[in-house]
Amino acid sequence: MLKFRLLVSATLAALVVAANASAANGIPRLPSGKPDFSGIWQTTSAADFDLEPHAARKDAPPGAGIVEGNEIPYLPAALEQKKRNFEKRTTTDPRLKCWTLGTPRGIYYPEPFQIFQRDRDLTLVFQFGHSVRTIHTNGTLHPEVTDNEFWLGDSRGKWDGDTLVVDVKDFNDETWLDRAGNFHSPELHVVERWKFLDANTIEYAATLEDPKVFSRPWNISVVLHRHREKNFQLIEDYCYTLDYDQYYPVPGKVEGTR
Amino acid sequence: MRVKKHALGLLLAMTPMLALAQSAAPAPPRLSQGEAIRWEKTVPVIDSGKWTGKRLADGQPDVQGNWANTIANQNNWTDPQGGEPGAKPPKTTREQRAPSRVSDPADGKVPFQPWAQTIAQEYFSNFHNPVKPEYIEPFARCAPGGVPKSFTWHGYEIRQYPGYVLFLFNSGTRIVHLDGKPHLPDSIKLWNADSRGHWEGNTLVVDVTNNNAKARLGRSGEFFSDQVHIVERYIFDNDGKRYNYVATITDPTVYTRPWTTTIPSRRYGLEQGDEPDGWHYEGEVANRPGKPPLDEYYERICVENNGGFGQVATTQAR
Repeated sequence: MLKFRLLVSATLAALVVAANASAANGIPRLPSGKPDFSGIWQTTSAADFDLEPHAARKDAPPGAGIVEGNEIPYLPAALEQKKRNFEKRTTTDPRLKCWTLGTPRGIYYPEPFQIFQRDRDLTLVFQFGHSVRTIHTNGTLHPEVTDNEFWLGDSRGKWDGDTLVVDVKDFNDETWLDRAGNFHSPELHVVERWKFLDANTIEYAATLEDPKVFSRPWNISVVLHRHREKNFQLIEDYCYTLDYDQYYPVPGKVEGTR
Repeated sequence: MRVKKHALGLLLAMTPMLALAQSAAPAPPRLSQGEAIRWEKTVPVIDSGKWTGKRLADGQPDVQGNWANTIANQNNWTDPQGGEPGAKPPKTTREQRAPSRVSDPADGKVPFQPWAQTIAQEYFSNFHNPVKPEYIEPFARCAPGGVPKSFTWHGYEIRQYPGYVLFLFNSGTRIVHLDGKPHLPDSIKLWNADSRGHWEGNTLVVDVTNNNAKARLGRSGEFFSDQVHIVERYIFDNDGKRYNYVATITDPTVYTRPWTTTIPSRRYGLEQGDEPDGWHYEGEVANRPGKPPLDEYYERICVENNGGFGQVATTQAR
């Protein structure tokens, strides 16, 4: 019996090893051999409602949070600002104006985004606002000018084996990190790590540092799932146009239909 | 004040004080937007046929890069260099200016039904006197330019992928599907419409439906309804430097017959000696010391920057 168990364990171990090897080899790749993240992705986590652990409340489903160690290490003054943001979150979240979500928020926002990938770059088109982020993977550096303030930051990526490591900086301070009022300054620096868990799943991890807002760098991680529904596609969501949509009626032959 | 100094075009447009602070090198004079818009008088003939130029790994003709139209902007659809509504009449004769963007019918006019002609005239007449919200050009509110107006506006970038052609406009982004998937359900109407394409030799043929029709065409008042069906033919010259955008626009609710618009376009690139000018060629020069110049684009953000008419990568001074 013992012998049989050992045999089963050995067989199982062998199977696990085989599965891992096949996962490593079974991910999509560009002709260049680099992992190919092309596709439409979305998280199922509640991260955008609050990065930190939270019970259910009127404006958010519960979530265990995606912050390593649970708490975002705010500096004292920044923590007070975060609390003020939280109090006013149902009116002042920039998302409510359909403004560009920023980095990393766009990645775990609960609408799909599509990655288009070439050797020289990855283009991320977010359904929300139809905003576009380019991650350069052609060896170029951040712009020489050091005080650019981009909504999405400036993204330069390189490969660490099969992991895409992206350095993002040159931010403005207009974006929030979630609906709970977590925020950053223009000093935000994000380092992302994109890695396939299998052909249809990406592990997205990021380290955030900001000496004006946080006492130390901190980490988040979410899983992104590939949309595989038949004929699934992005549907442009220029939600900021909805406020004036009514002012552009389509002219019709009968005056009343204008 | 938080002016961001990163773009050549922006840098040149900045106040002298800031320009001085940024760099000791004197900034070359910058063309005004009006001067920068290309003023070619003719439309080159480019025939559909074989593609003999370079190809991508998936077999598509490689037309990636920066492009812009060559005969002025959306001010005036049928007399592109004739000025916007209300402008002083140009000193040139009609024959001295670029032809109408309406290439069929031969008279260069949009074949409106009478009621629609009246509305187009109403838009034209009220362009500078927007007593109703609908007279304000949607562009001014950062709305995407849509199809086909985007091709008359600032320069834009084409990126290609297996199954897709991506257009990154100054105002709006358009995903053209080459993947054989069907159009969206008819009830979904979009600023950039819904695009399904395929290549025929040197020509990208795109079937465009689901247009919300709100972006309209020129400042001169042309429009269609959300029933419009547009078939686009992007006919690329085999030298890779030019293409003509030829689109047939069908909307029996607005026009008496289908009509065709032709918009000539050319490539821009550092490798062919062009310099980013903030209008036709909005590219930036990438930071890669010791290597040949390479262009890239920064993020395009409009409504958040409170600018209108599209913005290139800048948080406004405040």
